Amino acid sequence: MTRPGLQQKILIYLLLAIVLIVFLTPIYLIASSSVKPSPIMFQRPPAFFFTPTLEHYQDLFGMRPFGKFILNSLIVALGSTAFSLTIGSLAAYAISRIRHKRMNDVAFWILSMRMFPPIAVVVPYYIIFKATGLLDTPFALIIVYSTANIPLTVWLMKGFFDEVPTALEEAAAVDGYGLLATFWRVTLPLAAPGLAVSAVFCFIFSWNEFLFALMLTGSNAQTATVAVMSFWSSDAVQWGRIMAGSFIILIPGVIFVLTCQRWLVRGLTMGSVK
Amino acid sequence: MAYIRKRNRRIFLIFLLPAMLVLFLTTIYPMIYAGYLSFRSYDLAKLFVPRVFVGWSNYAEVIGSSEFIHSLITTFKLMAMTLSVQLVLGVGIALIVTQKLPGMPLARTLLMIPMMISPVIVGLVWLFLYFPELGYLNYFLSFLGIESIPWITSTNWALWAIAIADIWQWTPFVMMGTAAALQSLSPEPYEAAMIDGNSRWDVFTRVTLPQLKPVLVSLMFLRAIDAFKIYDIIFVLTKGGPGDSTEVLSMFIYRQSFTFWRMGVGAAASFVSLVIIVVLITLFFKSLQREQHA
Repeated sequence: MTRPGLQQKILIYLLLAIVLIVFLTPIYLIASSSVKPSPIMFQRPPAFFFTPTLEHYQDLFGMRPFGKFILNSLIVALGSTAFSLTIGSLAAYAISRIRHKRMNDVAFWILSMRMFPPIAVVVPYYIIFKATGLLDTPFALIIVYSTANIPLTVWLMKGFFDEVPTALEEAAAVDGYGLLATFWRVTLPLAAPGLAVSAVFCFIFSWNEFLFALMLTGSNAQTATVAVMSFWSSDAVQWGRIMAGSFIILIPGVIFVLTCQRWLVRGLTMGSVK
Repeated sequence: MAYIRKRNRRIFLIFLLPAMLVLFLTTIYPMIYAGYLSFRSYDLAKLFVPRVFVGWSNYAEVIGSSEFIHSLITTFKLMAMTLSVQLVLGVGIALIVTQKLPGMPLARTLLMIPMMISPVIVGLVWLFLYFPELGYLNYFLSFLGIESIPWITSTNWALWAIAIADIWQWTPFVMMGTAAALQSLSPEPYEAAMIDGNSRWDVFTRVTLPQLKPVLVSLMFLRAIDAFKIYDIIFVLTKGGPGDSTEVLSMFIYRQSFTFWRMGVGAAASFVSLVIIVVLITLFFKSLQREQHA
């Protein structure tokens, strides 16, 4: 493409500034409101410089067991990530290695599993978990989140396994390695970056999820996203606590974007953008 | 050949079968169960215990109810609003951030942040911005000469309030996909077009857009599938109201099942939504495969 001239450069940066302001203001608002004293929360014009306070964070962890809800979120997210990586990377390996005309259909079938509307299966889940006594336990959410995380892992890991040369596996087979040993000792270590990326995607999805957490948990297994929502009620909205909780919840996602944005395209577009 | 077939079967059994079994038990089985529930009636005293077989009556009630039809129309209306704006804005921003100028890679990265934020948090921060009397959005807009807008309290504006929050979160997705595609385009057609003396707009519409089309189609399908499922943002901002102005299909199912406790009707509506999403997913995969073969 042609190099833009000075005037065009100024126009481009002006437009970029507007775009950045629009898209980053809400994030700035969460961060600043979480440390803003309540009396100036909605002050006009908004206070850019003020003495930050930790009162909202103290409220959050002091008056309500928010720490417990964060722990629940962590347990559920880590549990689902571990389970999905195990099952998902095994399946991805099979899809990558078996040469059969039906394999494409199997891959699409697995991928389609993460596209179904959660609301359509929440009633059956509720009934099944109630009958089995799993309602309001982290286990229920681990299972439910894995239905979305396994397909995602399969899709991502297949791409990484495709890039591992089969010659290495054949050499390992000659050395007397079995199928699982070859997979575990040769292929998987070479696809380690894929495992890391899949793990982060699974973790963030589970950490951010709200609908199932709202319907399938109560006081025992409630996660942080549901807890934050509980500070909202029509008569008294506790904005300070909401913003402090929101800020804590958005940290993992922001770190992920800043450190591995190049994997976002692959993970979010389901292979439709190379 | 026989060796390979035997090896394939072993790989299938050890590696693939666990995933297929887990997904069957956790996804297909609940869906079949939802189908079963949709043919039953319920007792208010024992809410989650399906009672007698009632044939198609739940479906008749769903399809015949004006609320259901209204929720379906609202879902597609919201989809049209968000997808069209996300497409235009996303491609526009992608054209800016793919310029070979300093700072652009950082801008691309920063713009991706909204996608990784929990939809509940997105809903809450927009609630903060829209909040009647207090919210900052109307204050910011007043500098542009725009009068105070009753975002979430007016039936005229509530659907736009939701659309704007969704547009804020997912325009970066279209931007990201388009930017990746733009960067992989070959430069030759551009040089030829420029030599031929075409204007920038002509080059964009005649050279760039046709090459981007397959990617844009895929991105729009993925957005449509997501838009069809939208729930969290609406739950936070309006809960389907005011009136029924933002009651999309997932809100309809939620209210029928958990507010009015009409489980059978909720299940029947769920099944209708599954059929629609299956059509969308199939169309998407068909278009992907066509693209791969082309």
